[in-house]
Amino acid sequence: MKLYYFSEMPHHEFPDAEGEKYPSLRLEFPNRFFRPEKAQANYQRYLDEYELADQVGFDGLMLNEHHSTPSCVNVGVNMTAAILGRTTKRAKLLLLGNILPIEDNPVRLAEQIAMADLISGGRVLSGFVRGVGVETWWANTNPVHNRERFEECHDLILKCWTAPGPFRWEGRHYHFRHVNPWCLPLQKPHPPVWTPGTASPETAIWAGRRGYTYVPFLVPFDVARELFEYYRQGAAEAGRTVTADNLGFLICAVTADTKAKALEAGRHFVWRMGPTLRGPVEYFSPVGMRSRAGQRFAMRARPRSLATMSYEELVDGHFIIAGTPDEVTDRFAHVQRALGIGHLLLEAQESRMDHATTMRSIELMGAKVIPAAAGL
Amino acid sequence: MQARETTIRVGGIDVHVWAGGQGEPLLVLHGAGGNRGWTRWLQQVSERFAVWAPTHPGFGRSGDAEWMDGIDDLARFYLWFIDAAGLGRPHLLGHSIGGWTAAEMAAMSPRSLERLVLVAPVGLKPDEGDILDVFYYSPPQLLGMTVHDPTTIPEWDELFGHPPTPEQAEIAERGREMTARLTWKPYMHNPRLARFLPRVTNPSLIVWGREDRIVPVVCGEQYRRLLPNATLTVLERCGHLPPVEQPDAFARLVIDFLGGSARS
Repeated sequence: MKLYYFSEMPHHEFPDAEGEKYPSLRLEFPNRFFRPEKAQANYQRYLDEYELADQVGFDGLMLNEHHSTPSCVNVGVNMTAAILGRTTKRAKLLLLGNILPIEDNPVRLAEQIAMADLISGGRVLSGFVRGVGVETWWANTNPVHNRERFEECHDLILKCWTAPGPFRWEGRHYHFRHVNPWCLPLQKPHPPVWTPGTASPETAIWAGRRGYTYVPFLVPFDVARELFEYYRQGAAEAGRTVTADNLGFLICAVTADTKAKALEAGRHFVWRMGPTLRGPVEYFSPVGMRSRAGQRFAMRARPRSLATMSYEELVDGHFIIAGTPDEVTDRFAHVQRALGIGHLLLEAQESRMDHATTMRSIELMGAKVIPAAAGL
Repeated sequence: MQARETTIRVGGIDVHVWAGGQGEPLLVLHGAGGNRGWTRWLQQVSERFAVWAPTHPGFGRSGDAEWMDGIDDLARFYLWFIDAAGLGRPHLLGHSIGGWTAAEMAAMSPRSLERLVLVAPVGLKPDEGDILDVFYYSPPQLLGMTVHDPTTIPEWDELFGHPPTPEQAEIAERGREMTARLTWKPYMHNPRLARFLPRVTNPSLIVWGREDRIVPVVCGEQYRRLLPNATLTVLERCGHLPPVEQPDAFARLVIDFLGGSARS
């Protein structure tokens, strides 16, 4: 099983009591609490951590993108990929990912991902996501078009990468009279495509049909298995065989020299389960963004929100794994056996987890956990 | 006057319609809250006019129109509806997004219509303030902001007094999706509509609630300035739903205007 290092690059540099005065940390928490001098230092620190993760042997570095929120100030996944493409040597760069529905120019996106693939020597894994509602508000994209735009944006990017230019694109949502990008990916026919899932059966089926790597995020095991079934259904329709390499899973994980230290560090993940997801449903799922079938699945999939769970419950449910390297390895093996996955994505830094703790966790993962996981 | 429900097929879409009354035809276009049925003010107006109150595509029991992208599509659709229903040259009354639709129809084809009644229409960018972002709030929050004082609304209990059944909630969600489809960006207005409104010389009545927290009253002044033959009536102690909040006064205004002295 391959392991991936991931940080949301949080900006938790404000008094929590201030954030609690607003209906949500996303969209409404005023950006006067953004501290550029802290962010300047944090970006350096987060990039150092990614670089160490590459050096100690992580199979991949996962990057994501959000907007209008202190929970993630990685506001340009392709910018970060370009930097790490140059400063790292070996690990895959898993962009998970570019938020397709809010993108008005898929051709530019195709070029930027291609450039990151070229700079990194062909190490890009190109994840495509639908985004949460917050990004739809941020971009002011009509949520009722979310899935249509996701699929059409994807189709145009793939065509940019695989069809000779120049060509014309006159679609439902995208219109380009002259497509001829002079920047194409190194990997052929194109960088591998990944897709995350939290609740939409449609996305799982869509990914299965295309053989893309599909990664549920922080859902209970039974929900992940159900989503994988939808994925297999899509794969079967297309006559594809599903292997562990098609399936991944995302959890939060940290290790330390002692169990006590690891459990202490693991508490930082609670911030991303509750406070950063707090807010009206309209912010996260504006009208029409999810199909009504997707909504019904989401209701079943999340009988309890992560925000209502205690730290101990989050640990018991494998949403957070924190322990010594041996303990963490055992838990990872359990996840692998439970889900039959080939890729485990580790959100391995959060909130105010400090640099020293994060770096030590990365070192220990490299020394003890990654070699063990490789045999799983 | 008994109302009846019927279906009229326009452009491949089945449009559910409440119809009733006798007299000159009056086409009534509902707001984003959907078609509330044969309510008190419609009953009163139908004593003098043949009222046609269709449910917009994508709402209630009307068919889907996922291809529509804006209110101009809905306006063209209802000009077609007038032909399909054989309404001749009707009066046109629209509320909120229905008012915007009515204004677009009048700007597209003024001679297809007699008189125009616009009730708290969106459609213009306010000179001051903003149109409330209705998608940013839950339906119960929004209802609280939509009306001025629920205790003064005679039909409150029958219209809003009970939590929606799952089926009603699903219909309401579908209506919100259609509203988003039609109005998302630019939000609730057409930057070019103001250029075309001076073409509309039809006698026009604009009605607003003084306490409207959804669409600023200043928009009423803007419509009045842009429409060459319009008057503005602002109802005191009234929010965004004059036909529901003050049904008797509203019905009287409409009847007086449509059948009023200017016509005799």
